Amino acid sequence: MSMKKDKQYKLDIIPGIVLAAFSIFYMLQIPKVRVFKSLGATPLTNHFVPYLWGGCMLALSLWLVIRGVMKYNRLKKQNALPPSESFFAVLWDKREVVFSFIALALYVGFMESIGFVITTCIYTFVQILILTPRERWAKNFLPALIIALVTGFLLFYVFKVMLNVLLPVGIYGMGL
Amino acid sequence: MILEGILAVCQPLTILWIAIGVVVGIIFGAIPGLTATMAIVMFLPVTYSMSASQGIAMLMALYIGGISGGLISAILLNIPGTPSSVATCFDGKPMANKGQAGRALGTGVVFSFVGTLIGIGILMVLAPVLCAFALKFQAYEYCALALFSLSMVVALTGTDMPKGLISAVLGALLATVGLAPIDSRPRFTFDMYQLNNGFALVVLLIGLFAISEVMSFAESVRKKEDFSIEQNVKMKGAGFSLAEFIMQIPNAIVSALIGVGIGILPGIGGGVSCMISYTVSKNTSKHRELYGTGIMDGIVASETANNATIGGAVIPLLSLGIPGDPATAMLLGGLMIHNVAPGPLIYEKNGAVVYAIFTAMLIAAVMMLLFMLWGMRFFVSVLKVPKNYLLPIVMVLCGIGAIGNANQIFDTYVMVGFGLMAFLMIKAKIPTVPMILGFILGPTFEQNLRRVSQLASSDPFWNHPIFCVLIVATVLVVIFSVRANLKDAAREDSNE
Repeated sequence: MSMKKDKQYKLDIIPGIVLAAFSIFYMLQIPKVRVFKSLGATPLTNHFVPYLWGGCMLALSLWLVIRGVMKYNRLKKQNALPPSESFFAVLWDKREVVFSFIALALYVGFMESIGFVITTCIYTFVQILILTPRERWAKNFLPALIIALVTGFLLFYVFKVMLNVLLPVGIYGMGL
Repeated sequence: MILEGILAVCQPLTILWIAIGVVVGIIFGAIPGLTATMAIVMFLPVTYSMSASQGIAMLMALYIGGISGGLISAILLNIPGTPSSVATCFDGKPMANKGQAGRALGTGVVFSFVGTLIGIGILMVLAPVLCAFALKFQAYEYCALALFSLSMVVALTGTDMPKGLISAVLGALLATVGLAPIDSRPRFTFDMYQLNNGFALVVLLIGLFAISEVMSFAESVRKKEDFSIEQNVKMKGAGFSLAEFIMQIPNAIVSALIGVGIGILPGIGGGVSCMISYTVSKNTSKHRELYGTGIMDGIVASETANNATIGGAVIPLLSLGIPGDPATAMLLGGLMIHNVAPGPLIYEKNGAVVYAIFTAMLIAAVMMLLFMLWGMRFFVSVLKVPKNYLLPIVMVLCGIGAIGNANQIFDTYVMVGFGLMAFLMIKAKIPTVPMILGFILGPTFEQNLRRVSQLASSDPFWNHPIFCVLIVATVLVVIFSVRANLKDAAREDSNE
């Protein structure tokens, strides 16, 4: 396997640990799957392939951790370790991403109870503002509002009314 | 019979339905999350009151339009409209970024047409022969084919092989969620009935491509001055010269043959064919290092293959009554609704309808070419829409696609989960594309491996020459790809 010589040892160690933990969790779930033993059962049961993939994942993620540690040791010897950044500083630097994920999660989380139209209008409006630099908010406020309203109602009409996709009506449905 | 079939389609009303089908299909294909299958599902009831030739012609038009439309969002937004256009993103988006969106679209459209024509041509001439070949594919052969296709992952991993392999294994691992193949025991469902059918490919694609695209834009919000992608898009003809077209013919023929070959084998589909043909084209090219930087060859390979898969998928559908993917399964339903029974006797019992289908497919392919070439200026204008307005609307459409896939809200939660996973993978420099191959091929591999385990004692592998050839080919592909990747990694390290 190739040994890349970049300096980003954290990008090997952290994903390696997370994926190793995930593969261990995954393999611990396998014995809970019921095996079919009646007529027509296959010699390789429904546990075999999950163990195969889980084992491969564990081996590859451990390799990633080892590779990261080796990179770290090499950089430490050369006194070339990159400066570390605070986790919260990184998170704040990516605040638009964090807010986008929160907006998206709230959107899908409340869609069923509140309804497609209202959540879509709010989400579209909020997401447009998140993706717009703050100094341009005043200029973009009204267009964002109009686009959000048109998107919510138009898409509901096209997909729910015309194409019969089961979009949740929620509170909006009570008024229909 | 041939004339009767042609005349049945060449009626003004039937041609109008084909035109509507192509346009609707292109729209469904172009919107991320909506697929050709969904278009066929939604418009199947519309065909109830039509004659057999009209209804089937419209369904075929939806299928062709749906597969072809996927290239639009793949090139313009880096979000594949359908699973069949995943590989189109690799070179399509870099071309659009270089101001060559028109050229990329033109290439995609013209070679989609070429792929469809080759697919239909092979369907018309070689259907019985290819069906006999497809029937030779049993558990051993499918198992080896899945392994062979998975070996392509090595070529797609890029210079960091362990991370690429992790991505592919993660895809295969996610595909184990749901009812197990053969014995249908629920696995990793945590008593959630919504997971019984496993994760849907389209939901995974939305998470991997659409959400990660929105997040990548969100990351750069404070650095951006201009919010449109490209203001200076030059358009001239189809975007490329005749000499360039001629140069791409060998690439297109190889890709079309791969597309047809994958198409006739049930359960694999256009998503795999476009990636395999892209990999083959890259591995056999003299300038493999340029793939992914925005060259025509990549788009030609992907688009020719995925459209040729249409012809390939229709071969077992008509001759054996076996649908190869969800879209052809819906087409099978459409045929039965119109009293056409696919199978070995279809040429005798419904010969006119078969020729009507061939004619409708040809007309739909021509209309797809005309509509998409004509609409290119409009498609490219999408690039002039500020992304801070465009991407939220795309996200809402993706949410609708996720819900529409199985009519359950639960898929939108999964979509967000996959989006977060994709974002973290990108941050960790883990490629996301190998995951798609792992996800598609994992179940095929498992199902056939378990069937092989049943057969091995009574029917050893040396009785299966296709299996042996595919295993040898797999080993060769792995060796060749590992060598090429190590060379690329060494070159990259020396450049750093």
